[in-house]
Amino acid sequence: MTELRFFGFRPPGIEGQSLPGRLVVIEATDGVGRSTQVALLKEWLEDEGYAVLDTGLRRSDLAGPGIERAKQGHTLDPITLNLFYATDFWDRLERLIIPGLRAGMVVIADRYVFSLIARAAVRGVSERWLEQLYGFALIPDRVIYLDIDAEQLLPRVLRRGGFDYWESGMDFIRGPNVHDNFMQYQRMLLAEFRKLAVRHDFTVIDARGSVAKIFRGLRTEVEDVVSGMGLESVGAGESDAFTLPESAAPSG
Amino acid sequence: MRDLDLPGKLFIVEGVDGSGKSTQLDLLHKWLVSQGYLVVFSEWNSSPIVQSTTRRGKKRRLLSPMSFSLIHAADFASRTNAHILPALNAGAVVLADRYVYTAFARDAVRGVNRDWLRRLYSFALKPTLAFYYDVPLGEAIRRILDGRPSLKYYEAGLDMNLSSDAEESFALYQGLIKREYDRLVEEFGLVRMDATENLILQQQRMRGMIEPYLEGVARPDDGALNEALLDGGLLGRYLTPRFR
Repeated sequence: MTELRFFGFRPPGIEGQSLPGRLVVIEATDGVGRSTQVALLKEWLEDEGYAVLDTGLRRSDLAGPGIERAKQGHTLDPITLNLFYATDFWDRLERLIIPGLRAGMVVIADRYVFSLIARAAVRGVSERWLEQLYGFALIPDRVIYLDIDAEQLLPRVLRRGGFDYWESGMDFIRGPNVHDNFMQYQRMLLAEFRKLAVRHDFTVIDARGSVAKIFRGLRTEVEDVVSGMGLESVGAGESDAFTLPESAAPSG
Repeated sequence: MRDLDLPGKLFIVEGVDGSGKSTQLDLLHKWLVSQGYLVVFSEWNSSPIVQSTTRRGKKRRLLSPMSFSLIHAADFASRTNAHILPALNAGAVVLADRYVYTAFARDAVRGVNRDWLRRLYSFALKPTLAFYYDVPLGEAIRRILDGRPSLKYYEAGLDMNLSSDAEESFALYQGLIKREYDRLVEEFGLVRMDATENLILQQQRMRGMIEPYLEGVARPDDGALNEALLDGGLLGRYLTPRFR
């Protein structure tokens, strides 16, 4: 059971006390290999017989396309960008994550509000304001944080195709040296993640090892979260009624 | 809200649809321009970055109370940081048609937590003066329904399931909004204006209240262009409308 508890307050339109599904959050900075782990985890859970729903930032019907457009140009201050992401997050929480949990699925969130808080905080937005803003977020069953240092991140990012404008913090860190910008930005971000890890009791997995080693650690954690799920009774009507919105269908 | 400690001034109008607030703000705008002030106007829901998402949400009816609230906050943040704040720094008179109080009213009647809303908008700048155009509900509804062939979904509050009839829903929705405004007038000291009064009188009253705050506000000389036109005996036929 996932208790219907929120960080700050229960938002309007959300009913009930508990949900039969499980919410697992995977947090990490850019380039760690998070998406790979999520893909492996999803396959493994499905093979084990669980119904799985995965969701990630910017994938909402409502705000996904708008964020992509906004990031292409214009003057975009960190508060506006954050509220845009908050809209995207809420839309997915309300129309995807909570219905999925209600239907008894394992929901894997590829990043959650913590990434949004960390990114805005390093750009000077008040942490208190951010935590209050995300008071409407559902408290997950587990937050698994893939921990790494900026130095170890570097080869992975290069192998993946190089530095990205936003992942190098170039919207607020000046100077032509992209490598230095990337390192400075990622160090700030990692420090913020580690602060959040303590405050919100993340389960930390050392992400410096091989994909296989990280996945073994991840699987152990998730096994613990989903254990016993099959023994709980699910209101059959509820799970029958759930159909995925088009945007949630698996892509590529 | 952040206190306004900047060279510019910020005046805003609030009120239910059909209160005549936009008409009054428009008259004020024209007067301020004629007096030589640098005037910048900001309208609710007009950020070029966010607008398309709000439109998408409304058109496809994707907006729930919380996403309605968040996307409007994004729009407001964008206008504050890209438009309103720089103008106030530059010493302009900024006029806003609707401000945070619109969000406080509309979101609260949709069940969004009031304290959360106030914290959400804590980045907003406190207006120099905020006017609330108060009009009896029946009068406001008559004004809107007279001039409009049909009401839009969110405009009529149809998302709130108050009634399936658009006009009835609109009336109930506006009634709730109005009650919320009454609370806000108390809480934030909005200046209550009688919107049933003669338009000219209303405008005189508004100007009278604003005038004391205009002392010392810059009136940049924009006569350079006019001078060039006069010197050359030109009409400025090919100038873009902004400069004419």
